[in-house]
Amino acid sequence: MTEPPAKELTVMLVDNEPARAAIVEQAMTDSGYRVIRRLENAKNLTEAVNQYQPDMVIIDIESPDRDMLENMSRLSQDNPRPIVMFAEEDDSRHVEAAIRAGVSAYVVDGVNSGSVKALLQVAIARFREFQALRSELESVKSQLEDRKLIDKAKGLIMKHQQCDEPAAYKALRKLAMDRSQRMTDVARNIISVMELMGDSK
Amino acid sequence: MSLIKENILLLPSDPVRIGFIPLIDCAPFVIAKEKGFFAHEGVDVVLSKEASWASIRDKVAFNVLDGAHMLASMPIAATLGIGTIKKAMQTSFTVSHNGNGITIGNALYDELQHYSDSSADIRSGAALKKLIDSRDHQAVPLRFAIVYPYSSHNYQLRDWLSRVGIDPDKDVQITVVPPVKMLDALKSGEIDGYCVGEPWNSLAVEQGVGHMLVTGYEIWGSTPEKVFGVSSVWAEQNEPVHLAIIRALEKACAWVDESANQPELLSILSHPDYLNSTVEQLVYGFSAIKPKGQFDWPMEAYQRFSGSEINKPLPSYALWIMAQMHRWQQLEEVPSLNDVAEQVYRKDLYYKALGLDMDDDDSWRLSSGIEPNWLEAVSSGDVRLHSEGILKGFNE
Repeated sequence: MTEPPAKELTVMLVDNEPARAAIVEQAMTDSGYRVIRRLENAKNLTEAVNQYQPDMVIIDIESPDRDMLENMSRLSQDNPRPIVMFAEEDDSRHVEAAIRAGVSAYVVDGVNSGSVKALLQVAIARFREFQALRSELESVKSQLEDRKLIDKAKGLIMKHQQCDEPAAYKALRKLAMDRSQRMTDVARNIISVMELMGDSK
Repeated sequence: MSLIKENILLLPSDPVRIGFIPLIDCAPFVIAKEKGFFAHEGVDVVLSKEASWASIRDKVAFNVLDGAHMLASMPIAATLGIGTIKKAMQTSFTVSHNGNGITIGNALYDELQHYSDSSADIRSGAALKKLIDSRDHQAVPLRFAIVYPYSSHNYQLRDWLSRVGIDPDKDVQITVVPPVKMLDALKSGEIDGYCVGEPWNSLAVEQGVGHMLVTGYEIWGSTPEKVFGVSSVWAEQNEPVHLAIIRALEKACAWVDESANQPELLSILSHPDYLNSTVEQLVYGFSAIKPKGQFDWPMEAYQRFSGSEINKPLPSYALWIMAQMHRWQQLEEVPSLNDVAEQVYRKDLYYKALGLDMDDDDSWRLSSGIEPNWLEAVSSGDVRLHSEGILKGFNE
């Protein structure tokens, strides 16, 4: 297998989320861009940018270190390649999509905006994918938690009412319907009341 | 350019998302939420803690947030497209005045002793100028940190340095460090000094890692620090909500300034959802108690939140900030300074929100003779702020 030819643009990736950074880096490499540095902790970000001289920096929008990059927009003695936030006026939809996906991008003044946009697309897609994965994971997790709460509440009802499991479930369900609350919330209430009465075993 | 008109009208059921940076001066937003001032105005606000000023700006620009706790210069920079995509933003409510200070690390302070006859030389920057002149030109320049390039911190630091003949671009290096990392950066010697809001100046003094030299008040007098900023498209489409938020913030500001509320205020702010720090750290941001050190804060230098002279948007300050941007090569020219100042610092909505009669005072406007030369006149030092601050206007 031959490597895709490296395109001109070099990228620095700054992301505190190692798993996501790995995915994004892979995607960029696959598309033929050169990721010259991946930083998880952006300490001394300014120096890193000066040292590695990337054409573009892709940084998690939630990174507190973004403001350091904002300061590099001026040509000065110690900043020979000023970088600016990628924000083309004629194409603010690109920027909006990036921001909504949690990506922000800084480019060296004068870099070809066509390849910047293509690269931004790659990053946006991977950030979104990661966002979807994470929210799926979170919903599975919370479903599991809900299950556990309901089981615990059911157990408490069975013990106190001396009933079987279907009856306890029915009681819980009825309570939820009567109060128009979620089953989980009713379960949580039951558990806390029992705990208050010193019986949550 | 998209031909579809942006539609960002909030539905009554939509919560209003307001961003803030965890600093002392986000207090009015937190209090308006926690003490029910927003709710009382019928607005369901969700506060969103943000990690950087850039994030605040971008999220407001693209409607990920409805509005935010902003640096007073931010709506101006966004409207003019400085350092970002051009997006009209505006403010009709100033959240706070003052609170900045310049602090230097112990090592630099000790060195300055050799170049000064009195502590006044150190505080004025005169000793710093002598030190810089005596240094080897090949030496690594002294480094000063600010929190953001388009901020009062940057402009005040630069103004203070240049008053004693130090060139902020050539003689020193100015970098950006997030406020929460300032103390560590000073301790590690990564930076030699900084200009930042409280409590980061007091904490450096208290922990014995630095010496505070001067307050922002002594440099500029009383000037706006943070505002409630929104995008202009949003403001146009959501006026009733915008005005309700202003009313809630006005009450919250009064609550914050009431000293009897201080213990509760500090306890709320210290919560992990907000500043996530100890009450002991926060106390310096508000009270007259300052750590024992060589320096006393003048009473006027404290952060102030309440009163019409604090909360009312001052277009004259927008003029001043544009001139600072010009002075430090962030902004070349503006076709009409008066127009930008009026559009960005919208006084009319402030009066409308609070049900007050609009003041017709437009003495802030630059006359047609002065306007074309204003940016230059401020940059060259011909026009200065009145020593007591922006409310007193300018001295020529």
